[in-house]
Amino acid sequence: MPETPVAPEEMRFSDALAELETIVSELESGQLELEDSIARYERGVALLRACQAQLAEAEQRVTMLMGELESDDTSDDA
Amino acid sequence: MSDAPRALTVTEAMGWAKRTLEGAPLRVIGEVSEATDRSGYKAVYFTLCDGSSVMSCLMWRDVFGASGVSLREGMLVEVTGTLTVYAPKGRMQFQVRTLQAAGEGALRMQVAALARRLEAEGLMRIERRRPLPEFPDRIALVTSPRGKAVHDVIRTLRRRYPIAELLIAGVAVEGAGAVGSIVDGLRAAGASRADVVILARGGGSYEDLMPFNDEAVARAVVACPVPVVTGIGHEPDTSIADMVADLRASTPTAAAEAVAPSADEVGGRLEAQRRLLARALSGSVRAAERRVAVLRSHAVFRDPKALTATAAQRLDVAASGLPRALPGRLSRDRVRLDAAAVRLTGSASRSLERFGAELRLAASRLEDLSPLGILARGYAVCYAEDGAVVRSSNTLDPGDRVLVRLHRGAAGCLVESVRNEGNGTDA
Repeated sequence: MPETPVAPEEMRFSDALAELETIVSELESGQLELEDSIARYERGVALLRACQAQLAEAEQRVTMLMGELESDDTSDDA
Repeated sequence: MSDAPRALTVTEAMGWAKRTLEGAPLRVIGEVSEATDRSGYKAVYFTLCDGSSVMSCLMWRDVFGASGVSLREGMLVEVTGTLTVYAPKGRMQFQVRTLQAAGEGALRMQVAALARRLEAEGLMRIERRRPLPEFPDRIALVTSPRGKAVHDVIRTLRRRYPIAELLIAGVAVEGAGAVGSIVDGLRAAGASRADVVILARGGGSYEDLMPFNDEAVARAVVACPVPVVTGIGHEPDTSIADMVADLRASTPTAAAEAVAPSADEVGGRLEAQRRLLARALSGSVRAAERRVAVLRSHAVFRDPKALTATAAQRLDVAASGLPRALPGRLSRDRVRLDAAAVRLTGSASRSLERFGAELRLAASRLEDLSPLGILARGYAVCYAEDGAVVRSSNTLDPGDRVLVRLHRGAAGCLVESVRNEGNGTDA
């Protein structure tokens, strides 16, 4: 377990998801003490919430590295 | 019939030639020789030939620049334009309006040759292809900032996976500067900390897609530090960039779908993790409960006195036996001592007799066992070079030296061959 875990809200989606999956497999292994299990579970729930929130609220960010984007006259968004 | 026509001046004759020639636009295919492209000149000059004739060509620099063709000697090109006359020098030349590498056939051969070369270098090996990140946080897109392709990718990523930040390198995908621009775009994308790069272009003619068949672009794809997915043009054309990419998708939209999971898929996966998490914890809790239950049912906890009962009982038994034990033990020892004294005196004389007989027997066997006696019967002893007795041919190799001790004298011997037991009996 990391000494000071990063707040799930501040993590990149892929990192949060990877940590969540690690926690699930740790819990499934049955090797943890009960106290640790509960702590890991709580961390897992927090990660899960953060991932779900990111997924629900994400707005696409577009950055130009080179050139300028011409507007799209076939855009399907209002 | 009137008189023969009046003689023309040279200028009139050349003017007539010029008008006649310029009225007939031509399309000509030929091989380039002697190309002159000096930046100070207003036009580019080159010569086309076909083995038996040559034709001087000129092409105005702005028109040439737009063609995107770089002239090399020996290159087959197709030009359109008109023959014209340069009257001050009396020279005929072809004024080129359009220039392109000749024929798809020639281009395809050129591309196939490059493909074979890159393949021989191992750049198309399947093991070289890197897996795409499952959940990219940043996706770089190298494509034209105009047109349909860029927006197809933007839309697809927004719909499927808006979590990922999209970094766009807008590049020229056709025309003279396309190759350099695409290479720059790939470099910028590779340096942008993106997790994956999409190289995209909408459909076009075979010639339109030529920048994606360029060696410099192929090498930039290979050099990219993160996986590159191509979405170039339409089936069935496969460009060199497609061949060296980590994944080839057939269109820009397909490339976007390949790099990003769909949000639905990810949501489903999160839901699965949620269920696993809950089950795993209740599993841990149940396992802990079971361990507690087993311990609780243990005799120690049911009846705490059981822990000391056995010891307490043994103590009681010992305590009760102690007073009786002491006198009883003393009389028993006296009897045993007496019996031992009687047996000692009796056994002494019997022992001597037996020892005498055994000594005689041993002496006679000693005679038989003497190694010298055995050697006298024709046996020999074989010693290895380190003086150890050789008991098995397993310890010998051909070429070893051994000493064979006989009844009288000894012989140094060289091992010729070795026959280990199990390989048949000795002859």
